[in-house]
Amino acid sequence: MSPRRIPRREVLRGAAIASAGVALGGVGVNLLLRPDRPWDASVFAAPGRARVAVVHASSYEGLEAIVLDGLRAVGADLSGRSVLLKPNLVEYDASTAINTDPRLVAATVLAARRLGARSVVVGEGPGHRRDLEYVVTASGLLDVLTAVDAPFVDLNTAAIVRQPLHSSFTSLGELWLPAPVVEADVVVSMPKMKTHHWAGATLSMKNCFGCVPGRIYGWPKNVLHWAGLNEAIVDVAAGVRPELQIVDGIVGMEGNGPIQGTPVRAGLLVFGNDPVATDVTAASLMGLDPMRLPSIAEAARFLGQGDPSEITQLGEPVASNVHRFEVLPRFASLEAGSAPSSGSLEGGPA
Amino acid sequence: MTTLHARLSDALARARAGEAFGPRPGSPAEAEPTALAAIALEDEAAIAWLEGHQHPDGGFGLRSGIVRSDASTSVAAIALPSGHARERALDHLVANRAPKVPSNPDTPHDPNTRGWGWTPDTFGWVEPTARALLALRLGRPSATPQIDDGLAVLADRECVGGGWNYGNREVLGFDLPPYVQTTAIALLGAQGSLPDQSERGLTYLGSAWPNEPGGLSLALTLAVFRLLQVGTADAVEARLGRDFETHAFLGDVVSTAWAAIATGPALERLRVVA
Repeated sequence: MSPRRIPRREVLRGAAIASAGVALGGVGVNLLLRPDRPWDASVFAAPGRARVAVVHASSYEGLEAIVLDGLRAVGADLSGRSVLLKPNLVEYDASTAINTDPRLVAATVLAARRLGARSVVVGEGPGHRRDLEYVVTASGLLDVLTAVDAPFVDLNTAAIVRQPLHSSFTSLGELWLPAPVVEADVVVSMPKMKTHHWAGATLSMKNCFGCVPGRIYGWPKNVLHWAGLNEAIVDVAAGVRPELQIVDGIVGMEGNGPIQGTPVRAGLLVFGNDPVATDVTAASLMGLDPMRLPSIAEAARFLGQGDPSEITQLGEPVASNVHRFEVLPRFASLEAGSAPSSGSLEGGPA
Repeated sequence: MTTLHARLSDALARARAGEAFGPRPGSPAEAEPTALAAIALEDEAAIAWLEGHQHPDGGFGLRSGIVRSDASTSVAAIALPSGHARERALDHLVANRAPKVPSNPDTPHDPNTRGWGWTPDTFGWVEPTARALLALRLGRPSATPQIDDGLAVLADRECVGGGWNYGNREVLGFDLPPYVQTTAIALLGAQGSLPDQSERGLTYLGSAWPNEPGGLSLALTLAVFRLLQVGTADAVEARLGRDFETHAFLGDVVSTAWAAIATGPALERLRVVA
């Protein structure tokens, strides 16, 4: 267990809003007014050493043992704890690979139980398709969860709790979060390894957008984009604080992700106990320079470990497993080895 | 054997939380499910709850910090009977459109239109725009500038080939595909107007609905098909019934309420008369 870890329920129930927060009119953030350290240092201790494991997986069959090994490798402590698995389930299109594969989710349910979890539920609040029933049935998630007798929680309609944010990269100040997220002892962020046409890549931190309810933030959760997409990624991830991460890179998505991209078979799973370290590793595996992704660079200042020398890399070596994901031209500067961009990466749906 | 409408109405009534309705059965009441249930069940207690939970500015919805989710104001305005509360809700819709957003090559759109967003001061999207448009056309047809703007938003955002996506027709040079749920709600808002776009939307919906089954998508499709007297409405209703029996819409009260509206007499309340 990392010495810096603070029980997430304690953090989420804290009453104090980060003193560094700034009150701004409207949703947009004026970066010039943002404090240099827009987080509450009493809540976020300095990032410590992280563990990340990269594992080969050629298919989605028979994953339970692989997931079990991966979770053990990163020191997952699930014994007697309630676990919420948060896959990425955005939209369904049979011709591509948008979502975390349901078979990986089911395998993780079984592995978590074998690690002694007191309860395991699967929750998601899609930020695109409002008709959740269509997505969970068409994708096959509901069927596989029935097969492993695991409940699904709709995070867009679940009971909600008003939570102060302890970081203020945006001016949101607080979030409504679903009670199943707040009350879980452990949230496992399970993103698809994908490019993203506004953020560059969507990994375990961006996946936390699915934890905020659409019935407040909309379909899509446009107010988070207006708040500053990269800033919102950091604030929401810091609000959710997923303790564990499993990135589905068996078949990822490149190009015009996160919905209209092209499937890419990378054959990889990434396990981690630190969302920043996991995203650093996953982005590197995609052929990106992680510190050129603003959300990772900012989160590495307080939320998790971004220094590769402080990340214990287990399993397969990163360098020999890079599978360069095609990115849109606007993100060419994110590719490892490319010339850095002097322009802004900010963007988002209008 | 009870009718589908009776079964849906019974399920909806059982979802009640006190005098009103939450997004899931028994969960704390919120404006959107309460408004839709009030329409579906002609429920006076739900109406009273709405009247008691209207914000001072006439809007409805949950608010947290700087985020106000006012998008349920439109369905509340439809649910409320004529009177002061409804007028205040309609006033709120008139006064709280989305801002004009400059067009750009990444997300081209008509910069002169506004529509309505999910939250104030953000971009206007298809669903909240269609619902606000419907509320104004039903409750305040004299709001011509706002109604014309809402129709212009829907016309501008129509996908290539017909139908509607969530908000944009094109992003980063890629055409966005239409979806069943968003197309259906857009057609509800556009009833009797935008004849060309409506015809293309109906054509898309007629071919796509079997491929996107889900309670909300099917219920909204059925509502459109019944109002516009599309021949395949019976097939949609049959599929909706099977879906309800199988998954009960995963307990989503909003989907259940829309299904109850679409299968019953309350649907006539959503008919826009030219």
